[in-house]
Amino acid sequence: MATPILSPIRTLSRNAPRPQFLVATVSASRRALHNTPSPKATTTDIAPPATSPSNKPTTTTPSTPLTQPQKDFLDSALRVNQAGELAAVLIYTAQTPPLLRSHPHLRPLMKHMHDQEAGHFTYFNSLLHKHRIRPTAMYPIWHVAASALGWGTAIMGREAAMACTEAVETEIGSHYNEQVRVLLDWADKMERKGETLGEELMGLIGELRRIRDEELEHLDHAVENDSKEARPYELLTNVIRGGCRTAIWISEKV
Amino acid sequence: MPPIRLTRSLLGTFQTASPRSTATLKQRCCYHSSQYSQPPPFAPAESAILSAAISHVPNVGFTIDALKLGARDAGYLDASTNLFPRGVFDLINYHLVTQRLALKDTVQFPTEGENGKKLGTGVKIRTLALARLRANEPVVHKWQEALAIMAQPTYVPPSLAELARLSDEMWYLAGDKSVDGSWYTKRASLSAIYSATEVFMTQDTSRNFVDTEQFLDARLSDGMKLGSTFGALSAWTDYTVHSAVNVLRSKGMRI
Repeated sequence: MATPILSPIRTLSRNAPRPQFLVATVSASRRALHNTPSPKATTTDIAPPATSPSNKPTTTTPSTPLTQPQKDFLDSALRVNQAGELAAVLIYTAQTPPLLRSHPHLRPLMKHMHDQEAGHFTYFNSLLHKHRIRPTAMYPIWHVAASALGWGTAIMGREAAMACTEAVETEIGSHYNEQVRVLLDWADKMERKGETLGEELMGLIGELRRIRDEELEHLDHAVENDSKEARPYELLTNVIRGGCRTAIWISEKV
Repeated sequence: MPPIRLTRSLLGTFQTASPRSTATLKQRCCYHSSQYSQPPPFAPAESAILSAAISHVPNVGFTIDALKLGARDAGYLDASTNLFPRGVFDLINYHLVTQRLALKDTVQFPTEGENGKKLGTGVKIRTLALARLRANEPVVHKWQEALAIMAQPTYVPPSLAELARLSDEMWYLAGDKSVDGSWYTKRASLSAIYSATEVFMTQDTSRNFVDTEQFLDARLSDGMKLGSTFGALSAWTDYTVHSAVNVLRSKGMRI
């Protein structure tokens, strides 16, 4: 299960001269997953492979229509994901200039993380349009809040910025994990009845897993760049994580 | 207004919203997917009665009589109008829903590249709005009755929800892909423009509704002007803030 976490790194290192931050990523990833306060982040990595859609290659269309609660779930889940990725892009965008000023060696790392988030954002934007889901009404507010958070933590220094990344990615990682778990649960139940979830949702599960792994990779990078040294670490991360959870809760509703 | 209708409408006002109306409000949300076939919006019996009733509207208007005649035509008893707890509003709602869903079939845009240049979203929105207004043509002389019923307090929320769905449908069919804050402003402004034009159309006596068309064009161009002003303003603010921050950074301020 380590492969999906590593693969983006491998592609990156093929393209670029190996930057400093990639050294010892593997050990860092182990460390990070154990150090993070939320045990949720690791759990589905053990659970999911139970369902393998690959042994039924002909299943392209779903056998039964989605129920209303399922539609509601997808509606709010995708809306939250889009809002989350918007915030992530803005946080990295706002963090970059003040951070690079004092730590120019972080440039490749920041660019790498920002570009991945931008990719996720585009993906969820297209999904929202395709499935006709309304974006969150708090869009302009998240826009300002995320920029302020990114800029503010970057001003506080490298450690604080990384602590911010750590807190945000921990929340986002476990959030994606929960979604993947729900979708796999549906797939599992339908498979037992001899039905299939359909190509669209299976594809979504795959994408969600990939995105989750990339978010957790950012978490590793943050821990590696001394996010734990931030002062006051506990206060900062808890405030940010609380904020993330509140934002997720609000975006699910409006 | 005759006294009987007045009491009925007052009763309607104080009626608690029926479970059906909450159901229609709920179906507004949603994950839409071409992989799943959409269920028909009305049950077969309802659909049979309502579609027959609509054909009587040009003569008898949006009244309970139209519903009764419709039920008779479809081979049901007069009493079967009890299927519709909201009475005439259900008939109006049927018209609104079916005409909204018909839009995607009545308006076909040429695929891009067919005649060289792409149709702009503005042109598409105009075409869609006109097509939807044209669909009111057969009943337009009775439409004020419908508007009055929709304006009753009990029916305002479902009517507004339907208006929102209509404008969402138009933006979707026009191929608008924005999923940011403008998603809301676009839908709100189109709803306002469309409903204003609809009211205007009920009083329009010009041939082939030329005046309505002009009215719509004027409102749309107002809307666009407003939109582009806001766009320019926010772009300007964005630019100014960024350059101010960059100037401060170049002066050595650690921000």
